[in-house]
Formats: sequence, C-alpha cells, structure tokens
Amino acid sequence: MHSVTLYHWEPNANSGKPMLALMEKGVAFNSHYLDLLSFDQHKPEYLAVNPQGTIPAMLHGERVLTESTAIMEYVDEVFAGPKLMPADPRDRWRVRWWMKFMDQWLAPSFSMIGWKVFVGPAVRDKDPQELQAAIERIPLPERRVAWRKAISGAFGAEELEESRRRVALGIRMLEEELTKRPWLASNQYSLADINGFNLAYGLPVVWPELSNDELTPHILRWLRTIYARPATKACWAMGRTSMAKRVAVLEQPQPGPGQPA
Amino acid sequence: MSTTLYHGEPNGPSLTVLAALFAKQVPAERVHIDLARGERHRLACAQEPQVAMSVEGEGPVLVVEGEPMTESVFLACYLDDVGQGAALRPADPYGRWEMMTWCRQMIERTAPAAAYLGCRARPPRADSALLARIGSVDLRARWEAIQAGNFSENHLSDSRTKIRQAIEKIEQRLQGREWLMGTFSIADIESYAWLAGMVSLVPEAFAAKPRASAWLERTRAEPAVARALALARSADPAAVWSVGPEINRWG
Repeated sequence: MHSVTLYHWEPNANSGKPMLALMEKGVAFNSHYLDLLSFDQHKPEYLAVNPQGTIPAMLHGERVLTESTAIMEYVDEVFAGPKLMPADPRDRWRVRWWMKFMDQWLAPSFSMIGWKVFVGPAVRDKDPQELQAAIERIPLPERRVAWRKAISGAFGAEELEESRRRVALGIRMLEEELTKRPWLASNQYSLADINGFNLAYGLPVVWPELSNDELTPHILRWLRTIYARPATKACWAMGRTSMAKRVAVLEQPQPGPGQPA
Repeated sequence: MSTTLYHGEPNGPSLTVLAALFAKQVPAERVHIDLARGERHRLACAQEPQVAMSVEGEGPVLVVEGEPMTESVFLACYLDDVGQGAALRPADPYGRWEMMTWCRQMIERTAPAAAYLGCRARPPRADSALLARIGSVDLRARWEAIQAGNFSENHLSDSRTKIRQAIEKIEQRLQGREWLMGTFSIADIESYAWLAGMVSLVPEAFAAKPRASAWLERTRAEPAVARALALARSADPAAVWSVGPEINRWG
C-alpha cells in the first residue's frame, strides 16, 4: 500500500475536507502542516510538490493530487472504509450539487469575511518587506490579488455587503435543506456533510444572529451530530489556531424538546 | 422512471447534457426551451433552489421523478451512472480525479469567460416580466448588466486570456493522445461545449494549435455530439449564448 501524505493547514475549509475524509475512512496519513499565516504554501519546498501553491495537496505514492473536493472523491473511491458517496445516482448528483454550491458560491463569501477579520489582521503586523516578498512568490495571479486585499484590508464595502447577503441566504438554504433529510444531500453521511461541516462549523460563533438554536435548529443539530463523530473530534484536535478551536461551541448538548433553546 | 430534459440550443451546458444523454442512451422526454430568452424561469420548478441557485447560470434542467437537477457536468455523471454503453469517465479513481479537476477548471475559469464573450457577441434577451421572476439576485444582476450592454474591459480581456489558456492546456494535454483523458469522456464534451463557439470570437487562441483544432473536429464528429448538434434550430448553435456562471468575485 502506498503511503499518504497530506499537506494541509487547519482543519477548516479546503484543508479540512481531505483531512476529515481520510480520518472517516480510517486511512493513516503523514500530516504535513503548512502555516498559511507564514506563507508556507508559497515556499520553494512546497512549490516543488504543488507548483500552484494552493492548499491542500495529497501525495499518494508518487501521485500528487490537488483540489480538495476532487481529492475527497478519490479518497472515497480508492480506500476501504465506510462509503462517503451514496450508491444511488441521484443522491450522488445531489452530493456534487451541494459541494459545488458551497465551493463556488457560498464558501468564497464566508472566506472573504474570514480573511478580513482573521487572516488579514493575523499577518498584517509582519515586516512589510517580508510581506511584499511573500506576495510576489504567489504563483496564481488571483491569489496574489486576494492576499493583497486581505493584508491591506481593501475589500470594498459593496463586495463585503454582497458576501454578507450570500452568507445569510446560504444559511437559510442549508437550514431548509436539512429539514428534508437527516444529512445534507442524502439519507447517509456523505462528502457533502464533510464539505459542509468545514464551511459551517464556526457559524454559531461567527454568525450567532443568523445561526442559533432558535433560527436554525436543523443546522445546529447537524453540526453537533457531525462533531460528535470520533473522526471529526480527532480531526479538529489537530487544529493549532483559535479559528479551529471555535468548534468547541458544538460541544453543548442539543436542546431537548420543551427546553429553552 | 420519468425523465424530462429542458434544454436550449446545443451549445455550452445544454450540449454537454444532450451529448451525455445520447451517448448513454438514457430515455428522456426532451423539451427545447429558449434559454437565451430566459425561458427557464417559466418552468414550474424555476424557484426550486437547485434550479434558481444553480452556479452554472442558464443551463439545462433534468427532471427525474419530479426532482429538478442542474449543473451539466454532474448531470453527465448522473447519466453515466444510469445509462448504458461505454463509460464517460475513466475507469480508475486517479483518472476520475483528473477528469473532475479538469472539469472544475473548465467550470470555474473557462465557462464564465466563454459565456461572457458569447453574451457580448450576441446578447440574450429576456423581457422584464421574466427578469423579475429570476430568483437569484446575482443571476438577475448578470442579466441586467448584459442587457444594458455593460461589459467591463478588464473582464473582456481576462476572458480572452482564459480562453487562450484553455486551448493551450488542451494542446499540451493532447500530446500523444486523441482524447483529453485518453478515452472519450465528459471532459471532452464539456470542454468542447464551452470552446466551440470561441473559434470565431477568439481566433488567435486557436492559431498554430493543430492538436486542439483536430480534437474540436473529432469531438464534433462523435456520434452523440453530432446527434445533439443536429437538434439545433439555428444555423450556428455555437453562437447562441445565455447568461453563464459568474466571473470569480475575488479577482
């Protein structure tokens, strides 16, 4: 069996997706933590692995795989362990629909705000010359733009407002979908839930006015149920920053019937 | 199992799904609607989240047992699962990973660029009553910008760059192979569907690209693609566009 090495940052967003998928499958992997806030992902050692400088990347034997959602499908297909894609073709479509919706429409809005409140301030105090050099090493032009904006706090009021609109709408859509079935895209735990948890685990902390036990009981039930899984607990225990530690909010028990939420 | 496909002219996402439907011989009622006039928003399922909030924009809708489904690459995967005949995805997991990442690049970088350039060349037109029915605020904003002739020079030039990059990537990929993934796959259909209409709009992208040009011809001649193209109601379906996916908001 080939060894697996995962280059990742925090159990959060794109990094957390293959981390959690591997752990759900029970696949042992060499964890190679890249500190996004120190720009490890743009240093020569990592660019030798993934010239795009995007996180995560997975080495399976000699093969290098990138793109977190596609990595998850690969992990599910190639390793033994519980199936994380449902067998029914329409359920599989629904898993992919939700992953695309989250990856391409909802997550960029979450992350724009996340970068403004967390990533930008976390790196802004570094030496300006060092920052400039770090930005110039970024291979993808769109990532250079994103980092410049995050560091200078230059996200416009209009684009932030649009991101807030999308976050609020996305939360309502998730809540509505979770009234239909126990999991997001099918009646079994799937990659859509792993993807969604990575996006939404911090909701009750970051957006308490939009997501709480009264307004979005199904989302809260879903997040707590996922966090109660041993793989999720073990995965989030690998977090090193305050961001991943927001998951602690999900340790509160579900409010029972008749109890105040 | 009742299956109905609502599709537009065989170009972009409609072409992908039609070709997959024919390749996999999936029985379905086909209903031709004018996506370039916003007719998707007249469908009974138009307000369902999977239709209203489809990232793809004005793509086809496949309704299976009452459930409306969108996003052409994933519809093609679904048809590949339920249909018959040769698989439209590589047999091994690594090959499928390659195909999905290829399609993701097409979806995320090439498709918005192609739709943007296509809509500039021939703007779709929906009447205001129909526009008012569009459930997604951002999709409606893209319609309004296009109808107002509001195209940004930055986006136009970036879109041409993205088309050039896509063709360059295809040219490299086809070294020593006929099809992008080795055998004919969803990657060929999806890439062709977005790029066939770019030959006339970004001709320089195809100059001195013999492998990509031959691959376009080869894909056009594939029986399932040819059959989809034969459904065209206009002389040149590759020139018919509707509002596509959003150009990445991050820049």
